[in-house]
Amino acid sequence: MPDWQERITLQTPPAILSEHELRYRLLAPLLASSAAWADLGCGNGVAPAAVLDGRWPARTVLVDLEAEAVAQAAARLGATDTVQLHGDLTDPDVLTRVGDALRAVEGERVVSCFEVVEHLATFSPLLEWAGELARDGVATFVLSVPNDAFWAIENPFHAARWGEGAFDELRRLLPAEQTLMRQVALTGSAMVGWDDAPESHELGVQVGGGTTVASHFIAAFGPRHRDVVREAVAVPAAQLEQRRWERQRESNLAVAEARVEALRAMEAERNEWRTYIHELERELGRPLSGVDPSQPAS
Amino acid sequence: MKVAFLVNDLQLSGGVGVVVQHARRLSLLPGWDVTLVLVREDEGPSWHGYEHLPDLHVRGREEAMADRFDVAVATWWETTFTLFEIPAGRHAYFVQSLEDRFYLEDQAERLGAALTLDLPVAFITEARWIAQLLGSWRPDAPCFVVRNGIDKEVFAPLERVTPAVAGPLRVLVEGSPTVWHKRVPEAIAAVGAMREPHEVTVVSGDRPALAGVVADRVLGPLSHREMADLYAEHHVVCKLSTVEGMAGPPLEGFHRGATCVVTPVTGHDEYVEHGYNALITDWDDLTGTARSLDLLARDRKLLHYLRSNALETARAWPDWGQSSQFMAAALTAIVRLPQPGPTVAAARLSSDLRSGLEVYQQRVSERADWHRRARRFERRLEAIRTSRGVRAALKVRHSWPVRTALRPLRPIKRRIMRQPR
Repeated sequence: MPDWQERITLQTPPAILSEHELRYRLLAPLLASSAAWADLGCGNGVAPAAVLDGRWPARTVLVDLEAEAVAQAAARLGATDTVQLHGDLTDPDVLTRVGDALRAVEGERVVSCFEVVEHLATFSPLLEWAGELARDGVATFVLSVPNDAFWAIENPFHAARWGEGAFDELRRLLPAEQTLMRQVALTGSAMVGWDDAPESHELGVQVGGGTTVASHFIAAFGPRHRDVVREAVAVPAAQLEQRRWERQRESNLAVAEARVEALRAMEAERNEWRTYIHELERELGRPLSGVDPSQPAS
Repeated sequence: MKVAFLVNDLQLSGGVGVVVQHARRLSLLPGWDVTLVLVREDEGPSWHGYEHLPDLHVRGREEAMADRFDVAVATWWETTFTLFEIPAGRHAYFVQSLEDRFYLEDQAERLGAALTLDLPVAFITEARWIAQLLGSWRPDAPCFVVRNGIDKEVFAPLERVTPAVAGPLRVLVEGSPTVWHKRVPEAIAAVGAMREPHEVTVVSGDRPALAGVVADRVLGPLSHREMADLYAEHHVVCKLSTVEGMAGPPLEGFHRGATCVVTPVTGHDEYVEHGYNALITDWDDLTGTARSLDLLARDRKLLHYLRSNALETARAWPDWGQSSQFMAAALTAIVRLPQPGPTVAAARLSSDLRSGLEVYQQRVSERADWHRRARRFERRLEAIRTSRGVRAALKVRHSWPVRTALRPLRPIKRRIMRQPR
């Protein structure tokens, strides 16, 4: 049973957190020389705060559906000129406000939009707006969508199904000047000394090629789309946490299933009682309890 | 946004059904006004379900010509004849297949359908293979991909596939037997050549054309809901088409827990993965197809693996809501972009027309050559037929002594006359 964690938090499993952080690393050179940055679907700001090391523009526009998340992100990032916006990115007014906040500052502008498009009930207003800003040279966009189709993941929080085919449909709607990337998962292992302090290892890894399966698809478009940097990241697997988390989930699931069973048994018992009481009520010529006499018997 | 989709008619067909789906859903978007323009008289049973939608209209050609649209979209090669008569800011072409392939080499429509791809229009297509080809042929024209969605309410994905561990393999063959490239008779023959126990259902909108077909059940025409139920009763969809844009039936079958045995027809790679969710069989290999079906009948673990993965593939396929969002975005982009210039299109059209005429001339010359050779045989036959001996034999052939003498040969003659030519 999957555990849907749509909000990145400090408790997010390391593999997912590092995946998210890597997407923000793409932006590092862009942000270092930009005057404004908008993070659409900013969440709590955990990932950019962890990897960008304070090197983001003074004008930061943080946008999310939840005002509380935006406030947390603003506190975490601590930018000097933060614009906090909460609203639905399917709403053209919200998009216009983001655009205005970016345009208010002269210089290069960057917009990140990671793991947002799949949550939108309709994504065409966002695409239209982003395409227009990119074509006009107002901002460079970097967006990502997950490859749910490969694993046939039915995420209850995703309003659209994304995969190779859907991404191909998407990228044809973006400005022709674009950089496309696949984000791929890595697995690995390391040897460490028995009692020694934490070690650092340089890793070399060959990824990509014809049979590469993406976990996410990334598109950068706009005036500086070529400036994104591709990197790879490996983090220790938090197996202790992972084990606790999985066991907790299994334990919770078992309890939930047991409760469902108990409720079913209780329902069956009550139905038996109700049938018995109805029989008695019929014998006594009384109206059946719990039954609306105006409704036809089912 | 005012959009006109041009259709020949609203008769029941997969291609028209796709256009109606998009039109219905686009008409529900705020600010969108959609018209289905019928470019020829309606003659048969039609798609319905749009009558209650206030922003979806059905108009004739004349009426549409008096209106003005932001974008007019041809949806079948013959509708391009009317496309430029419709006043619109942009003209586009929704290409659902390379429609010239629907016609045999010596049919005039083949060249006509191919030439429509040279028109100065923006393209929208439903399959990536078509987009790649259009991109190489017409780099001057924008090309967007909008894959067909699936009606997930009708073809609702099963919760899970129940393993079929016993009983005959239930195979479904669907399609019109009179459309040559659907190769329905070949699919029926392949299932008939199976050695393992099986049950075959053949379903077609053109039921009379199935007269004489050997199958356990012959059904049709069926509604979409009836088709959904039928898929759920079967383990395998057998589809041996030679031309498709992106075939819908195997994908609909996937949603209902059926795997498929298919040819590597264009568009299959949008969702078919050999050995993962389906089996791909070779062209014209009916024996091989029968053996693939036999394998599924024998190996129930493989059958269940393919069916389970087919269902998983189906879960990830977009619904019409998502598909029409892409259609909306594509049409918006087309309105924003300039119309492809006529010069490049005209150059391409002239070049293709010249090549087409060369091919046509070659065929005419080939036919003239065959005609000359046939005439030589005919002259010889005529000489034999008019020779004195043959004439005498023909004269006496109906006399009773000759008829009596030839009577024992009648069964042989009957057998010869029955042989297919």
